[in-house]
Amino acid sequence: MESREAVFEYIWILLIVAVIVGLSASMAYYGFARGLNPTCEAYTLEEARKAGISLEPGVREVGPGIYEVTIDARQFTFIPREVVLKDPNRVTFRVYSLDVIHGLSIVGTSVNIMVLPGYVAEFVWEPPKNAKGEFLVLCTEYCGIGHQLMYAKLVIERSSAQMAGGG
Amino acid sequence: METRVYSVKEDWYARITIAVAFIALLLGGVFGVLQVISRTPYWPNLYEYLAGLGIGGGASELYYRGLTAHGVLLAIVLTTFYIVGVSAYLTPRVLGVNIKPQTLNVSLAMMVIGTALAAIAIIFGWANVLYTFYLPLVASPLFYIGAALLILGSWVFAAGVFISYLEWRRANPGVAIPVTFFGIMTTFIVWIMATIPLVFIVLKNHVPASLLGWEADALESRLFFWWFGHALVYFWLLPAITIWYYYVPKALGVPLFSETMAKIAFMLFILASTPVGLHHQLVDPGINPYFKYLQTVLTLIVASPSMLTAFNIIATMERAGRAGGGDGLFGWLFKQPWRDPVFTGLILALITFGSGGITGIINASYQLNNVVHNTAWVVGHFHTTVGTAVVLTFMAYTYLLIRDLYGRNVILRNVSLAVPILWFVGMMIFSISYYTAGLAGSPRRTSIVTYGGSIPPEWVLPMQIAAIGAIIFSLGGLIFLVQFFGSLASGARIPLTQPTLVIMNPHKPGPATILDNIRLIIVAAIILNIIAYSGALIEIYYLRGLSPVPPIHP
Repeated sequence: MESREAVFEYIWILLIVAVIVGLSASMAYYGFARGLNPTCEAYTLEEARKAGISLEPGVREVGPGIYEVTIDARQFTFIPREVVLKDPNRVTFRVYSLDVIHGLSIVGTSVNIMVLPGYVAEFVWEPPKNAKGEFLVLCTEYCGIGHQLMYAKLVIERSSAQMAGGG
Repeated sequence: METRVYSVKEDWYARITIAVAFIALLLGGVFGVLQVISRTPYWPNLYEYLAGLGIGGGASELYYRGLTAHGVLLAIVLTTFYIVGVSAYLTPRVLGVNIKPQTLNVSLAMMVIGTALAAIAIIFGWANVLYTFYLPLVASPLFYIGAALLILGSWVFAAGVFISYLEWRRANPGVAIPVTFFGIMTTFIVWIMATIPLVFIVLKNHVPASLLGWEADALESRLFFWWFGHALVYFWLLPAITIWYYYVPKALGVPLFSETMAKIAFMLFILASTPVGLHHQLVDPGINPYFKYLQTVLTLIVASPSMLTAFNIIATMERAGRAGGGDGLFGWLFKQPWRDPVFTGLILALITFGSGGITGIINASYQLNNVVHNTAWVVGHFHTTVGTAVVLTFMAYTYLLIRDLYGRNVILRNVSLAVPILWFVGMMIFSISYYTAGLAGSPRRTSIVTYGGSIPPEWVLPMQIAAIGAIIFSLGGLIFLVQFFGSLASGARIPLTQPTLVIMNPHKPGPATILDNIRLIIVAAIILNIIAYSGALIEIYYLRGLSPVPPIHP
């Protein structure tokens, strides 16, 4: 009886080890071999100034379907409040704050980052081909008593040619 | 060996601290109910009524004030006070050694004064920073001073526990540490290791920002906060686990399935519960992915002692159930003392912890964190862990304390069983609904969820169902509080043999093994912390340099 119970104990421990090793390996594979990291580059506002990176809020199309979007997150709004992208393939976001901590999430997508004052958060998003229409952009970190007012809109427009081609 | 110990002073201390803990549960619970009703789509916004009465600076200001109170009262005050109380109650009973009375007096005074100061700051709206108080949002200095006194008071108590251990060790050389005391000591080792980074950053950044308006770096402050913040959850959890290990075998009349396994679990908690804070910052800019990944793996490792605990407790139940005649695959489940509200409460807490553990692994899972970070999902998660695994355990165990510590009969005894059941059922409804809403992007920490005049339709139903769940478990909490305070006020007195006579050292403890070498494991934990955090610290301080910003009042 005793030894039979001990066997279950060992099986359970093996199972725990398998879960830890399996999950760690899968996260490492997707993170480092496939470049799927839940993170983004950051530089301080000073570094951005020195490197000559423009922090003028707005949308720039730097190539066909290649966008650069700069957002100023502040109590209690995003500037710009509306971002329109036509047939985006690759969007580089630069989000910064000059006051307190904010968050930025695009509801219905995997875009979800923290915005820390004094830093520029930079990350690249490749919108899914079927992403289309209006998306709600929210502040996801408490930033003061007007936190619930802080949102923006992202509009993705698809030309019919791309919808037919890209699927 | 038999020791006679009179635990008069410890019991006095425990009676006061545990009562304070449940006052915090009452107040924090009221804010919780106000909150969940007010933020639920198409339900009445109770804070608007209150603001209409001329209280505070508008409905949302009141909401965040209440949310700060809810977080601080339940996650800090309730937990810390209950934990020191139950540890003071158990230590002389399982160790046969008294705690130095000076440490009890000093710690009680500091903790009560600290709590009062912080409470004043919160109630008057001078600290609308929520319980994470991220800079550059600042609160009144009163808030930080109060919190610091509360924490330092708990350090004084911890010192008392460690002194008792050393005394016991001198009297009992070479004897294995009793499992229950091993749990208590683990709790306070983790607590000290956890609060060092917090005390450091509060003194370096928060207090100067609040008092003098000095600039501070947000990323640095968050890093140190979460170095503390995740270890904090083990400070809550370890006493709950200790109570499971202590009471479940006692209720079943069998020894714990494996004391070795329990000690290994506690060791792993000491080792890995502090170097994991970066998993709260997976989507923070400015920390290299390799450092985040390292702490993700450590987070998975610290999940393993929880899995060992679940196995150990359930195996103890199975052994007792089979000895009691339950056979087949599940027959033993029906041979458990389910009518005992204490036992049922602890086991339902354990089951809920299973769900909280799994969602916790999802939160910490690197890529998956993107999907759930700062959504209602997280709220669902920590209501299953601290909100149920911990708080339900504390409430259930208190049924015994009302009798054995306060010397009163529990009033309304017949409804006791309803408390763990309502709490469990309500919390399942609440948490699963908030998981659903969170996956649809519904945020946490907002007073309302209306954006530009409309609410995303996929959030509405889950949030409404969640609110119903919250009302169900709050009802359980209300019944408990009526019983607790009612019993203290008017329960029939049970003649405790005064002073309480305690005889301990249960089944003869075996010789000490490597598992009783606490010093070794603490050194290992410190080394692991250095490895886990040095990369991120070098990056923040030297490779990039800080970027301080001025403080802002919310």
